Amino acid sequence: MNEIAVKAERLEKTFGEGDVQVRAVRGVDLEVGRGEVVLIMGPSGSGKTTLLSMLGAMLRPTSGAISIDGVDLARVSESKLHDFRARRLGFVFQDFNLLSSLSAQENVEFALNLTGQTGKRSRQRAQELLEGFGLGQRLGFRPDKLSGGEKQRVAIARALANRPTVILADEPTANLDSKIGHEIARLLRRAASEEQRAVVMVSHDQRLKDIADRILWLEDGKFRAATQMAVDPVCGMSVEREDSPHFNHEGEIHFFCSPACRDEFTANPGRFDRSPRKAG
Amino acid sequence: MRGVPVGRRNLLSEWRRAFLGIAGVATAILLVLALDGLFAGAMNQITRIIDTSPADVFVAQRGVRNMHMATSAIPASEVEAIRRMPGVRWADPILYDTDAVVGKTAARQLSYVIGYLPGRAGGPVKIARGHEPGPGEIVIDQRAASRLGVTLGGQVRTLGASWRVSGFTTGLVNIVNSVSYVRLGDFEAARGIRGVVSFVLVGAAGNPETLAGHISTELDLSALSRPRFSAQERRVVSDMSTDLMRIMTIAAFSIGLAVIGLTLHAATLSRLREIGVMKALGARSGRLSRIVLSQAGWTIGAGVAFAVPLTAALGWAVLRATGNVTLALTAGSVIRAAGGAVVLGGIGAVAPLLMIARVDPMTVFRRQQ
Repeated sequence: MNEIAVKAERLEKTFGEGDVQVRAVRGVDLEVGRGEVVLIMGPSGSGKTTLLSMLGAMLRPTSGAISIDGVDLARVSESKLHDFRARRLGFVFQDFNLLSSLSAQENVEFALNLTGQTGKRSRQRAQELLEGFGLGQRLGFRPDKLSGGEKQRVAIARALANRPTVILADEPTANLDSKIGHEIARLLRRAASEEQRAVVMVSHDQRLKDIADRILWLEDGKFRAATQMAVDPVCGMSVEREDSPHFNHEGEIHFFCSPACRDEFTANPGRFDRSPRKAG
Repeated sequence: MRGVPVGRRNLLSEWRRAFLGIAGVATAILLVLALDGLFAGAMNQITRIIDTSPADVFVAQRGVRNMHMATSAIPASEVEAIRRMPGVRWADPILYDTDAVVGKTAARQLSYVIGYLPGRAGGPVKIARGHEPGPGEIVIDQRAASRLGVTLGGQVRTLGASWRVSGFTTGLVNIVNSVSYVRLGDFEAARGIRGVVSFVLVGAAGNPETLAGHISTELDLSALSRPRFSAQERRVVSDMSTDLMRIMTIAAFSIGLAVIGLTLHAATLSRLREIGVMKALGARSGRLSRIVLSQAGWTIGAGVAFAVPLTAALGWAVLRATGNVTLALTAGSVIRAAGGAVVLGGIGAVAPLLMIARVDPMTVFRRQQ
């Protein structure tokens, strides 16, 4: 692995106390190197967002340690965390989360302003980034005038503006169609490979597997071996092979998230078989 | 160097809300400026007969320090005593009362009626048309004459007698009354008084303050220099109107506070998620506070910028419509109103500032509806 950018050790996060106590993250260990793309998958409520929030220095863990670029987050005071986030972390969100009153260029500039870069220098940096993402003609457009793909490209440019160590992406392709989602995935891959950023993505999107160096499955707050996972052919969800409803069709075992999906499949398997010999 | 002006962009991106906020603040400032201007205008008119008088010192009965709503009676013999004092160039008596001047159509105009010695101090500074009053004659303000429906040579009644209008003054009608002039002897005859005057107007050879001090000390009378006498007059009128003015000003500022507070609150509420995004990206609370305060600043700045010319236009329209109501818009009143508006902005921003301080950056992970 390349130089370690993110390291989490025995990470725990517990919300509430007593009967209402919820252990959202349980003893997670994670290392992500520069230039590496890690995809974290898992069912809803598995602790993905909590883990991402802790890695994003927005939520303090109950126990365990996180270091980014060798800096132990526990040693960064609350008042310095803002600056730490602005300089070392880049965020990409499912809902894009661009500032609606600012143009595409100003959205990127705003991130630069947070690290003290202002004026012509920040305008130029924002322009170069957006032009690099094919948005040279959209610099002055506000988010409501941009397509979903354009918005997400602006969000990635914003995330990269301060040359962060880590990019944290929360469902970056969820609101995008297949073609655009693939393009966004490619941009994130490029950010990792060409700019040596560590990219941690949380997603349900199977397409992102193509660009990930590693896929981690988070369930009940713990990582499980992704090799034990399968894709439900009906709903597309990743499911754990063990204990999942399954069905043997023409010698191939299919796994399902629920009996309902299995029943839908068994009623007409040909409908869900995407192999070339059955297509059409 | 400056960063992206997020506050201004937020304000201008929702122009309807921005317009309402600016219009509300402008209305509040307009009300305050108009009230202040009307009051200042009235005050200027009320003290005009003092401010334009050639007298350096005004002498009244002991304890009387102004004209408005006051009665002063000085033995006429004191006029000679004043004239003999060192430092006195001249001393002229006037009689003074407040009475209604009634026209032929029974229209009434409240007026200070002044009895003076024609050709001496105490009379009108300038007669626009006609001449000084002869026996049985009166000089009234042109606008009052128009209101009363009388022309030069026409008849009016005041002090319980009929008078022929011999001349018109201008600029001596204000929001509450006007000024009329008759001969001193006619005033005495009409009121049936002898050997008493109301005030003595004095021309000083040296420092008026010093002379006023001498007169007060040597004679059993009140003597004030013209600026002090005018200031006393203003104070009396002001004291009588202060409560009303204060209530109306508080009402106007309350409107402004409600508008700016609601505008900022609504603007902040609609952008809570974006505030969460900014926090997640690394924006400090100080920077976010500056965004809210800049929105407040722009709203107030634009409100004041609109309110000042609007008040000037209102003043012009009011004067055109009434002829005697002036609205004095001064730099001081604009600065006071703008200062008040800045305080409003500060107060109005408190709730939004508390709101943004509580925003959790983790809201960025919640899905938008």
